[in-house]
Amino acid sequence: MERVRSGARTFGELLERHEREIFAYALRLTGRREDADDLYQETFLAAFRAWPPPRRDHERAWLYKIATNKAIDRERRRRPTVSVEDLRLAAPDRDGVTLIDLASAIRTLPPGQRAAFVLRTVEGRPYREVALALECSEEAARTRVSEATKKVRASLR
Amino acid sequence: MNTTLTHDHAAEARERLVHRARREGLATVGYGVLDSPVGPLWVAVGPRGVAAVTFDREPNERDLRRIVAAYGPGVVPDPRRIGPVARELERYFSGRLRAFETPVDLSGITAFQRRVLTALAKIRYGELTTYLALARRAGNEKASRAVGGAVGSNPIPIVLPCHRVIATDGTLGGYGGGLDAKRRLLTLERGETPAGGWSSRSGDTHSPPRSSA
Repeated sequence: MERVRSGARTFGELLERHEREIFAYALRLTGRREDADDLYQETFLAAFRAWPPPRRDHERAWLYKIATNKAIDRERRRRPTVSVEDLRLAAPDRDGVTLIDLASAIRTLPPGQRAAFVLRTVEGRPYREVALALECSEEAARTRVSEATKKVRASLR
Repeated sequence: MNTTLTHDHAAEARERLVHRARREGLATVGYGVLDSPVGPLWVAVGPRGVAAVTFDREPNERDLRRIVAAYGPGVVPDPRRIGPVARELERYFSGRLRAFETPVDLSGITAFQRRVLTALAKIRYGELTTYLALARRAGNEKASRAVGGAVGSNPIPIVLPCHRVIATDGTLGGYGGGLDAKRRLLTLERGETPAGGWSSRSGDTHSPPRSSA
């Protein structure tokens, strides 16, 4: 049981526990496979450099936080271009809205709101985890998701 | 979302991540799981050579603690790094390799264990020895029980051939990978059963504990 509760002891343990989820999150945040690949690598390299990880029940939020910050940094450095093929991978299915519409709408959000929207609405994470990942209060996380949702709805009309 | 594509792509991304982590000096030990005729083997390769072989898909606690104590947490999945020993193991299991050339890394074990495992490494393909004879080879005839313990905690079975050590009465003794695996390895090497038969040991008081490798 101790092992189950404890944080990862090796980089490999951390990777095997979380890499697919973080890769999927990176794909949804960036909308492009190449960027998701970079973001996934930057996230785990940063985690390795910042070793040790927190205890196990905080591990995932820790990685989401790193990934989110890395994504925001990348966003500030440049505006990515959009490939139609990759948008298909990035966007979840929603009735009456094409994948491209939704992914494009997400891309218009400012980085903090985009991360909040993806974490909560696309990934389905509880507000507690969204707040941890974005280093803000749960109330602030709710506000960001709400504002992002309004903007996405507006741009899909 | 096409999860298959994501999975494949994530595997490629992982390979690039591991490459970068190695280049930055963050990844010190590579591991992978090999399928073998004696079941899955978890294999780890460190800076000096093969650091562990475990009869499982995961490392055992003892080996993982030893590796982390010696090389830190930079233990990463790295199929390329275990490639050379994986190829040797494949040739061994197909009867085309009689002596492993890949170096072994015994960091983090005691001087006594090292002496025993060094003596163990000299037992040739297909040869059988006993814990008592191995104790003599390791320079301490009276220490056969302790030698049994050191053989039992051999971190690199198959490559360091603890399966070639049997009980003094000629029965199999024990094996970390299970007696079926030990039988299989000895049959592969010798094509026959030893004179004492393949049963697990009877009541020889001079023999080491059953939990030995």
